[in-house]
Amino acid sequence: MISMNNVSKWYGSFQVLTDCSTEVAKGEVVVVCGPSGSGKSTLIKCVNALEPFQKGSITVEGISVGDPKTNLPKLRSRIGMVFQNFELFPHMTVTENLTLGQVKVLGRSIGEATEKGLKLLERVGLLAHKDKYPGQLSGGQQQRVAIARALSMDPIAMLFDEPTSALDPEMINEVLDVMVELAKEGMTMMVVTHEMGFARKVAHRVIFMDAGRIVEDAKKEEFFGTPRSERAQQFLSKILHH
Amino acid sequence: MSGFDFDVIERSLPYLFREGMTFTLTLTALAMTGGIVFGTLLAMMRLAAFKPLSMLAGAYVNLMRSIPLVLVIFWFFFLVPYIGAWVLREPNPIKVGTFWSALITFTMFEAAYYCEIMRAGIQSIARGQVWSGYALGLNYWQTMGKIVLPQAFRNMLPVLLTQTIILFQDTSLVYVISATDFLGAASKIANRDYRLVEMYSFVAIVYFVMSYGLSTLVRRLQQRIAIIR
Repeated sequence: MISMNNVSKWYGSFQVLTDCSTEVAKGEVVVVCGPSGSGKSTLIKCVNALEPFQKGSITVEGISVGDPKTNLPKLRSRIGMVFQNFELFPHMTVTENLTLGQVKVLGRSIGEATEKGLKLLERVGLLAHKDKYPGQLSGGQQQRVAIARALSMDPIAMLFDEPTSALDPEMINEVLDVMVELAKEGMTMMVVTHEMGFARKVAHRVIFMDAGRIVEDAKKEEFFGTPRSERAQQFLSKILHH
Repeated sequence: MSGFDFDVIERSLPYLFREGMTFTLTLTALAMTGGIVFGTLLAMMRLAAFKPLSMLAGAYVNLMRSIPLVLVIFWFFFLVPYIGAWVLREPNPIKVGTFWSALITFTMFEAAYYCEIMRAGIQSIARGQVWSGYALGLNYWQTMGKIVLPQAFRNMLPVLLTQTIILFQDTSLVYVISATDFLGAASKIANRDYRLVEMYSFVAIVYFVMSYGLSTLVRRLQQRIAIIR
């Protein structure tokens, strides 16, 4: 469904991504991990063209992301994205956050969009907060609303950019639980995270990045059993035994 | 001060406010509205990735901010009739009138200042908010209109209003093109009745009371916004 071919990206003369290639099949959950600054967030943002790239190609269901003729808003509306800092719209209520994209992009009526939004809000356990502003919610609650907002667009795939990194430890699980459930329903997911427990539980594949390169791209069992690269071994021992 | 004539002030109050202050407030309100709209567009241009666009807006802003306002008022007052004639292909300079001439001038001039305020406001919105809008499939105009500008505007409201108080005071400069604004009206009576001290003192007090009152309101608003955030 998502296919990357030799993607390279530079910030000025500094190369942040080097020849990254991978595939994400329909229904597959792929976890992207690696030390900070390794380019994993940048890579995932290339998938819906929030970050432009200079070389290589990315296609989503056959549509080329880098092609200037591609209707980017339309493409992006089909890919849900969840950010590290939630990025709910602080000047809108939770319900307005959930309906904005549906009404403006998908052309749904307010009634239809609200119904859909509230159903998803109930699913993430936050229906009681529908009229609040994001600032009145905890981080974990905001992130669950953000997931519901992304789902309200009926995406064909979901991208998660370190969804639990900005959360207090006691709130991490409430967000991960929603993600696990989503994975079990067969949602195609690409998840940048350090949560190896999540990876063990639901990932099909793990991609390990270092210094802008995909160093390892393996089935979950292989990755956790016998990572081939020394860099991944070091990273795993650090992250699993801290 | 024995010769201070309060009567002349009282006698001229209807004229001063009905003619003069109405002109001043109308000009302020319309130039503020136009200036903020045009200034916001300029700010978006300045922040555009397309270089010629941002350079054009930058040049405009720097030009306006480098010329004294009085000069711009004169310049527009004498030039706009010719530009109008050229645009409408009329043989003679068109009649614009002092109000319209002043309105165009102040809108164009203040836009440069409102632009810088809105630019700072837009830049104060985290990159992630824009990403978040784009990720939902919103286009540039929708992201700006629904997400970035409402937040930028709210954050910058106190500064925009402070700039408007300056605009309110600056509109008194239209007196150089003989417009009957509040100062212009007072000046006419002052010269007619030879009561310059009385009239100019009164005008100063009125400007002070209104400007000070408004800036007190702005300060309160600023505190409220700080609490919300």
